[in-house]
Amino acid sequence: MKKSILSLSVMGAVLALGSSAAFAAPDWSKVPKRDVQVFHAGVTPIEWVLKKSDHSGRTGLVKGESCVGCHEEKGGLNFEMKKLSGKEIEPAGAPKTMNFPVAVQTAYDASNLYVRLTFKAPAGGFDHGDKENDVKATVMFANDQVTLDAGGKPVAAAQVGCWATCHTDARTMPGADDKKTKYSKTGAYELMQWKSAKGAKAVDGSVSDSRKMEGGTAGVTATGENKGGEYTVTFTRKLAGAVAAGKAVPMGIAIHADKASGRFHHVSMGYTLGIGADGDIKAAKQ
Amino acid sequence: MSDNQGGFFANLRRPSVKYSLLTLLVVGFAAGVVFWGGFNTVLEATNTEKFCISCHEMRDNVYVEYKETIHYTNRTGVRAVCSDCHVPKDWTYKMIRKIQASKEVYGKIMGTIDTKEKFEANRLRLAQNEWARMKAADSRECRNCHSFDYMNIEKQKARAAKMHKIALDDKKTCIDCHKGIAHHKPKNMPEDDEDE
Repeated sequence: MKKSILSLSVMGAVLALGSSAAFAAPDWSKVPKRDVQVFHAGVTPIEWVLKKSDHSGRTGLVKGESCVGCHEEKGGLNFEMKKLSGKEIEPAGAPKTMNFPVAVQTAYDASNLYVRLTFKAPAGGFDHGDKENDVKATVMFANDQVTLDAGGKPVAAAQVGCWATCHTDARTMPGADDKKTKYSKTGAYELMQWKSAKGAKAVDGSVSDSRKMEGGTAGVTATGENKGGEYTVTFTRKLAGAVAAGKAVPMGIAIHADKASGRFHHVSMGYTLGIGADGDIKAAKQ
Repeated sequence: MSDNQGGFFANLRRPSVKYSLLTLLVVGFAAGVVFWGGFNTVLEATNTEKFCISCHEMRDNVYVEYKETIHYTNRTGVRAVCSDCHVPKDWTYKMIRKIQASKEVYGKIMGTIDTKEKFEANRLRLAQNEWARMKAADSRECRNCHSFDYMNIEKQKARAAKMHKIALDDKKTCIDCHKGIAHHKPKNMPEDDEDE
């Protein structure tokens, strides 16, 4: 009797220890993929997006339209790429590949959210400021309090994704303060990042009045592999804070390819991630 | 001499001795047609692309910008030149515009925008003049080619379709959104230019 209880409890302990790893990872071959285009956005901070003479689409935003609602077409992008890569919007230099797809898979269970990104990181970038990391992959989630003011009319994070953190005075923007990072005037974003450098720790951070690359409480882990130029990055984080079950969480993706730094990332527009709820991207329940 | 002149005008005021009324009417009518044709030909000559860019102020500034756009060159070769947007097609409006345009001759003589710096300094004012004229005319010149009523919004991509639906709902006119379609927008556009 005692022996069986002992072995049972040993088994239980082993299972408990192992479960966080073993039962957590979803069967990725069964999780549907959703292609999301990431593109080089040039100098188009939120101030530009909300200025009608710069971006007539602001009228759509004020009426509740999302960026994706106008600019994503049949899985591709509808932008004036010539304008986006031209000297007016990108005074420094545009990358050779203005946009590429990232296959997004998301799943959740009782305690965690799993996000897998698969993409071919293009070469031919303009900026190579991050000598240590060939590639970085970042995902941000907005909380309920993020809102923008378009001449007295509100624009929600669900419409613009991460763009609320992109400002004309953030570092690497033309004429900006080198010490100022991304920031959001209202609310906060949770940030997770994978870096390709050997032994680099996953970033579990946030963006509120500034970008903090640590101090996050989501328990983020990230793994990545590179198979002949195709990267597969898998994030695991707790269902907590802004990212909770039953919610449609505004999110965005950024890929720093070819050792890019600062604003020279390819970014996605804002998508809502439905965790047991409706959204542009629906996480598969495990 | 004065006698002759007096004779000439006196002759004009006298009834015709030699020619019948019909002859006078027919000849007068024909002369009128020739005159009108001549007037119209010269007027239309001032509506050509070649005429507009004969002034370097236009050729070196707005023409260069226009050449980058779809109204200059495109797949089908159907284009809009200067007068298609800036001169009304309807005769009355056209005449009014042409009389107003005599101010531009004055500007040319005075050289108000004859250097790049002067042009850039005036760009916002000049653009706002045109935008105001187009808005007052409910973008009449745009509609000469782009009929909003016959625009098949279903065939448009989301980016255009959604904005055109908003335009319909909010009773906007083309120039409200399509500023900068043919020439660069001024850098210092004020916020209050934006109506929602």
